[in-house]
Amino acid sequence: MAVTSAISVSDLNERAKAVLGSDRSLNDVWVSGEISNLTKHTSGHYYFTLKDQRSEVRCTLFRGARNSLSFEPAESMKVTAFGSVDMYVVKGSYQFNVSTMRRSGTGEMYLALEELKKKLNAEGLFETSRKRGLPGYPRIIGVVTSPTGVAIHDILKAASKRFPADILLAPVLVQGEGAAASIAKGIELINTQNVDVVIVGRGGGSSEDLWAFNEEIVARAIMSSKAPVISAVGHEVDVTIADLVADVRAPTPSAAAEIALPDISSEMRNLENKMIRAYGSLSSCISAMRSSFSILDSKLSVKRAKEKVDVNINAVNELSRRSSFSVRSSLNGKNGVFLIIDAKLSPKRAEGSVNQYMMNLDDLSVTADSSLLRNISDKRKDMNSAEQRMNSIDPMKVLERGYSCVEADGRALVSASQISENSNIEIRMRDGKVKAKVNEVIMK
Amino acid sequence: MKENTDKKEKEEKKVCEMTFEESLKALEELVDMLENGNLDLDKSLEIYEKAVEIRDRCRAILEKSERRVRKIMETSEGIRKEDIVKE
Repeated sequence: MAVTSAISVSDLNERAKAVLGSDRSLNDVWVSGEISNLTKHTSGHYYFTLKDQRSEVRCTLFRGARNSLSFEPAESMKVTAFGSVDMYVVKGSYQFNVSTMRRSGTGEMYLALEELKKKLNAEGLFETSRKRGLPGYPRIIGVVTSPTGVAIHDILKAASKRFPADILLAPVLVQGEGAAASIAKGIELINTQNVDVVIVGRGGGSSEDLWAFNEEIVARAIMSSKAPVISAVGHEVDVTIADLVADVRAPTPSAAAEIALPDISSEMRNLENKMIRAYGSLSSCISAMRSSFSILDSKLSVKRAKEKVDVNINAVNELSRRSSFSVRSSLNGKNGVFLIIDAKLSPKRAEGSVNQYMMNLDDLSVTADSSLLRNISDKRKDMNSAEQRMNSIDPMKVLERGYSCVEADGRALVSASQISENSNIEIRMRDGKVKAKVNEVIMK
Repeated sequence: MKENTDKKEKEEKKVCEMTFEESLKALEELVDMLENGNLDLDKSLEIYEKAVEIRDRCRAILEKSERRVRKIMETSEGIRKEDIVKE
């Protein structure tokens, strides 16, 4: 054979492509196998290997074909693919271009499933209106699953970080012979125990593994459950009849625990928000009280009291000047009463009652928050300054500072004109009185 | 007087027996009372103290560390429950 008849690699691959494309036994065929090495390209095309026990073949699933599928292809999924063999000229490798695909077992099993779905749907089992809400804070959660599976492990782990409900497990078979009956029985049993909510489910597996959750007996048991049911079967992509009947469908068992049990820290935050609201109201109540306090404070001021007493004393003096001695003495008695009133209004007493009030506040504030205490201590400062103000205008305090008070006939004298020569006066000092006779009055 | 103390004890007993849901509802009611206001200081402080008490109850429930994990079994003698020992 002459070398001149050599063809290029490209030509060879093109020829092979033409042969493969024209052979009817390689075109429009159904191929069964398991998906592996699934790559989802950003272009929307999927690439994977279809394999059985002995061989494998590279497959393409272009975007258009993929969009028309009724399920999402996944790793290890058993499928039957329809398509044609083709040559990938660039690599000189052949591939299977899939135009459509079914999940394996799509035969009788899926047909029966569709029938059952239709029947239960017609009975209204999937109706949203039939579904119940979940309790906000369950005390006991019932779990119907395998005692050795990943589901219970995941549920316990997730629950340990959530609202502290007790957990009661009804151990059941979740796959294989008798699984459906076992699950149904478990749901019935757990409902004798006053549980607030029931989680029914299992961890991920093949569609065969999850099949028990597609059985009518399980659907009926979920429907009859007294407590609301959360389904948690396999992974997010697996939707079983149990999921359709359940009051709530959780994508996974740990998600089911999170749906059933509130988050502790958000509950804590909620509590603190309530206390902030309560404290806000209390604060405004305290400031309202503070402003009414300052009104009382001014009413109780020594200055005002003194003015009142002075007015009365002046009236008494005026009268006494014009009256006989006996009348005067009786009026002096009245003067004594005024002194008593004066004493009642004294800063000492006012201070005493303020102190009393503060002690009451102290008692009450023991259990309150520190912010409340801070507020009360502000109030105490206010009170202390009021107290100081009262003290500063107390006449006795003036005497402490070295001033003296001149009195005659029991009344304080403010002007030299009130005093005549040779009259008797009393000088009130810090620690006693001096009786004196006036030698001379010198007017300024 | 004795009646009063009895009544108070009864009330206090109630707080520590409240479920979380009941406590939360009671707390909400107290906060509403404070917010709707027109209460004098003594009454407000009394309600606030009660709110603190219920808040503490709620916290105690949330912080409860032991929770029972048990499994239920049907035996010939009836239903039996036993603790699951965590691994």
